[in-house]
Amino acid sequence: MRPGRWFVVAFALVLGACSSSSTPNSASVPTTTAPPTTAAPPVVSCGEAVASYAPTGGLPSPGAMPTGSFMGQIQARGRLIAGVSADTLLFGYRNPLTGNLEGFDIDLVHQVSQAIFGDPNRVEYKVVTYAQRIPALLDGSVDIVADVMTVNCTRWQQIAFSSQYFQAGQKVLVRRDSAATRIEDLDGTRMCAATGSTNIDNLKNYPKITAVPVNDISDCMVLFQQGTVDSVTGDDTVLQGFVVQDPYTKIIGPPITSEPYGLGIARTHPEFVQFVNSVLQRMRLDGTWKQMYARWLQPTGPVPEPPAAVYGRNP
Amino acid sequence: MVAGWFEGTPGSLRFRGAISVFMCIIFGVAAFSGALALDRSVNGQRNDAAQLVRVESIRTNLVKADANATNAFLVGGLEPADARAGYTSGISAAARALAESAGANGGDAPVLRRVNEVVTTYTGLIESARANNRQGFPVGAAYLRQASKVMQEQALPALDSLVTGARNRVDAASRSLALPIVVIVTLLALGTLLIVQVWIFRRTHRVFNVALVVATALVLILGATAIGGMSWSQSAGKKVRQGAFARTVALATARSDGFDAKSAEALTLVNRGSGQAYDQRFVSVASAAGRALDAGVAPVAPDPAATDARIAFVQYLTDHAEVRKLDNGGEWEKAVAVATGRGAANQSFGRFERASGRAIVHQASHVSDDLDSARRPLVPLAWLALLAGLAAAAAASRGLNQRLREYR
Repeated sequence: MRPGRWFVVAFALVLGACSSSSTPNSASVPTTTAPPTTAAPPVVSCGEAVASYAPTGGLPSPGAMPTGSFMGQIQARGRLIAGVSADTLLFGYRNPLTGNLEGFDIDLVHQVSQAIFGDPNRVEYKVVTYAQRIPALLDGSVDIVADVMTVNCTRWQQIAFSSQYFQAGQKVLVRRDSAATRIEDLDGTRMCAATGSTNIDNLKNYPKITAVPVNDISDCMVLFQQGTVDSVTGDDTVLQGFVVQDPYTKIIGPPITSEPYGLGIARTHPEFVQFVNSVLQRMRLDGTWKQMYARWLQPTGPVPEPPAAVYGRNP
Repeated sequence: MVAGWFEGTPGSLRFRGAISVFMCIIFGVAAFSGALALDRSVNGQRNDAAQLVRVESIRTNLVKADANATNAFLVGGLEPADARAGYTSGISAAARALAESAGANGGDAPVLRRVNEVVTTYTGLIESARANNRQGFPVGAAYLRQASKVMQEQALPALDSLVTGARNRVDAASRSLALPIVVIVTLLALGTLLIVQVWIFRRTHRVFNVALVVATALVLILGATAIGGMSWSQSAGKKVRQGAFARTVALATARSDGFDAKSAEALTLVNRGSGQAYDQRFVSVASAAGRALDAGVAPVAPDPAATDARIAFVQYLTDHAEVRKLDNGGEWEKAVAVATGRGAANQSFGRFERASGRAIVHQASHVSDDLDSARRPLVPLAWLALLAGLAAAAAASRGLNQRLREYR
């Protein structure tokens, strides 16, 4: 027997098996969403950005999704595929103690799963970077993106959003002993932001600040703790998670921008957007939203009212 | 007076005598230094082979530490004691091998110092990842990613360049010119002695000059012995290079690539759903490991440990396919269970790790033993050839003096 032969054959079989089963959508992903190279992001008008599709009729009973609808397809598949973050403390992060994904955004996904299946845990998570969120929706590798995603008109051109579920604003994280009180005080320093985020686009309005782009915003935290960058910019929700992890930091300034969050869904599934809007509306009304806010954001004062739904956009 | 030294028939005789004596001495010196040069060259190959095994072991241990660190993170919760132990033993073995390699080869030392610095940075990042992880902070994952990146982009390429350097030195040593020079000098010395004897025969009509015959016989016998010994030694060295040494290199590569594959498997799972880049890395390093394993198992009478390593790796690939199937089917938790702890993929990889380690130790000891025995005849041969050259020179001088006396 030739000992070399059977190995090559066995090896080819095994490799063939594993390469054919992997999803073929990785290599070209980041280039399709390269941020515009002009000085300021193009302003696209689409009416009121947070306006979504109005729900029609009530929610179908869990487990009885209308046939032919996208919810029906999800139900037939047996699980909801959600694109989420694994390192945004409070919103979507992998709890190192349990290995499970947790956070405000993850709870939203559980709510959608509950509405489709009657079971909050029929979910397959795909961890995506900011820059991968829109491509993942476009190529159908995820059904929904719940990852601190800002609703704006530029993005409406490619994907659809649910009604707004959170109001955030972009701020800056600095060392606790920093004298800076607003972003303008940081001219001439190095500031880290995540590629594919609205945050890094907004930095173009501050040309005297050197932007340091990274793939994941938690990589900013590593660079910041190592002293490679002087500050980190991101949504206050995300930065709040960093302050929890590092007491030698603080968040400064008034918000540079308003960042309304919505759940991202492919434009080809307007009925799913309407379905999710009904789920969000129920959460606004029955107190679920306030419970989630209290659980994850732990406000010192009273829990605010949820952002009201705005409709009026037509698919 | 000196001008008349080489005049007339006695002068010609003196001239030929001087040439014969000179050639005999040249023969002795050339065979002596040729055999010693070959001895140094084989010894150099032995040292370079040993250095290569040491550098590969640094590489393997670093990749092993990284695979364990990533795997520990994957499980979630308190890191498993065996993964932590695997990380610690990998780092300390790498540190030991770094110190040994730097001591054994001064030329490699600057690169090894740089690798040592990178390892210090790496362990710092891993400790930050652990400290954050212990407090339940997800930024630990970012530290882990950065640590892996530092290792992949800075430490491993530097070590790969040292491995290539050592391999090139071993190959260059095989192109030693010592043997052809000894062959040429021996033929020249024999030729000179024969021509002188023919000349004397024509002038004096005496068939044999015993002393010159003795000189010729000494050069012939010892020349043939030295050439034979040196070519035996060279072909023994070649056999080792193509056999045990090639297999050692192949097994070391397979082991290192194997750990790299295990680490890529874990990173694919850590990046849950968006780890395709790591999955592609798995396919490429696992194929490289498979090819190297094929080259690492001897076609005849293979080392049982090497055969075991190959069987275990094939089993691991089957188990890994199951991990990917579960993960791609949306069953991430089950996939993680197969890839870690007592899961099938982790167990079969453990068998591969142990068997390949044993196989490398076996093959590497064959390399040094076989090269040692290839060296053995060279030093005695060198001294014998030198003595024979000097004795032949003395005999030639004596033989020509006998003829010269007849002209007084």
